[in-house]
Amino acid sequence: MEYNELEGLSSFHLDVIRETVNIGAGNAATALSQLLGSAVTMDVPKAELVSIYNISDRYASPTELVCAVYLRFEGEISGNMLWIMNEEVSSQLVKVLAKKNLGNISVEQLNEVADSLLLEVGNIVLSSFLNAISSMINCSLPVTVPAIVHDMLGAILDLLAAYYGMVGDVAIVSETNLRITDYETPMNGHVMLLPDPQSLSILLSKLGVL
Amino acid sequence: MAEVYHVGMGEIVVAKHPVILTSLGLGSCLGLVIYDEIAKVAGMSHIMLPENHEGREVKKFGKYADTAVPKLIEELIALGALKSRLKAKMAGGAQMFSIPGKNSGSFLAIGERNIEATKKMLSNFGIPLVAYDVGGNKGRSVEFYTDNWIMVVKVIGSEVKKI
Repeated sequence: MEYNELEGLSSFHLDVIRETVNIGAGNAATALSQLLGSAVTMDVPKAELVSIYNISDRYASPTELVCAVYLRFEGEISGNMLWIMNEEVSSQLVKVLAKKNLGNISVEQLNEVADSLLLEVGNIVLSSFLNAISSMINCSLPVTVPAIVHDMLGAILDLLAAYYGMVGDVAIVSETNLRITDYETPMNGHVMLLPDPQSLSILLSKLGVL
Repeated sequence: MAEVYHVGMGEIVVAKHPVILTSLGLGSCLGLVIYDEIAKVAGMSHIMLPENHEGREVKKFGKYADTAVPKLIEELIALGALKSRLKAKMAGGAQMFSIPGKNSGSFLAIGERNIEATKKMLSNFGIPLVAYDVGGNKGRSVEFYTDNWIMVVKVIGSEVKKI
């Protein structure tokens, strides 16, 4: 299968990718739950072909302020992963993490460590996700150093639209929500697995369906 | 009241004064405006990529810098603009994520390539780029007003810029 045949992925292939996300996200939820000592639930995963022109307003207003942790994996199979939370969730998460791990610290100190905490948790979530897939397909998926941004949702999703846009007009978006539920306001983060178009056929053949 | 047009990814919108053209949440994408103050027409393109190098059939002319610029000019002229009077303004082309050792030449730097390709196309067509706010690592929202031919650029956590 050539990468420009992305549009021709069957619903069976998408089901298999959805199941892969299920396994990855399950492992990520477990890791997050152990880290926080809190229950973490996940939504039924999705794997869909989406028009690249609709990506930026698929979830919320493109101007909504969010926090996103990004990393890239590059092995036999390559691609990108994102963990996106809206900004209220990320600040709530920082407070929970700081209290658990740092005791009582001042607001100034908290601001200094906020991003490194989020980056580290994001790294754990995304790496656990990939580890599960990696063992399932028996293929190592080395990751880059993660990166974090706080910006408009549309500006972050822009990159994905452009990325898949290089080879066509559709993107494959496989995703789920992880919810940290033990708190008054559950904290909801969105996890996205975005395989490179060139890697899809390798992924599907490793999964035994191509 | 001027009508507001949202210019989505890969789109081109051309309109007569009075109008407000906007693109929201531009990351690596570029919001390019070309306008003629005398004929009072303006068009915006939400450019996603530098060039259609694969030579595939283009469904959305606004998607690539190298197809968006000629299409914008063509549509503006059809609305009464004079090519010699056209001017351009643009904003966007940020690099949202940086990963050590993975930046130059990778897709993360697509914003920079969008800026370069658009500048080159404008200069090929002899259209002066009179103002721009590009690059960096922050997303932008832009609004272009035909009242004063000003582009308002909004960045989270920064003051609004008027260019």
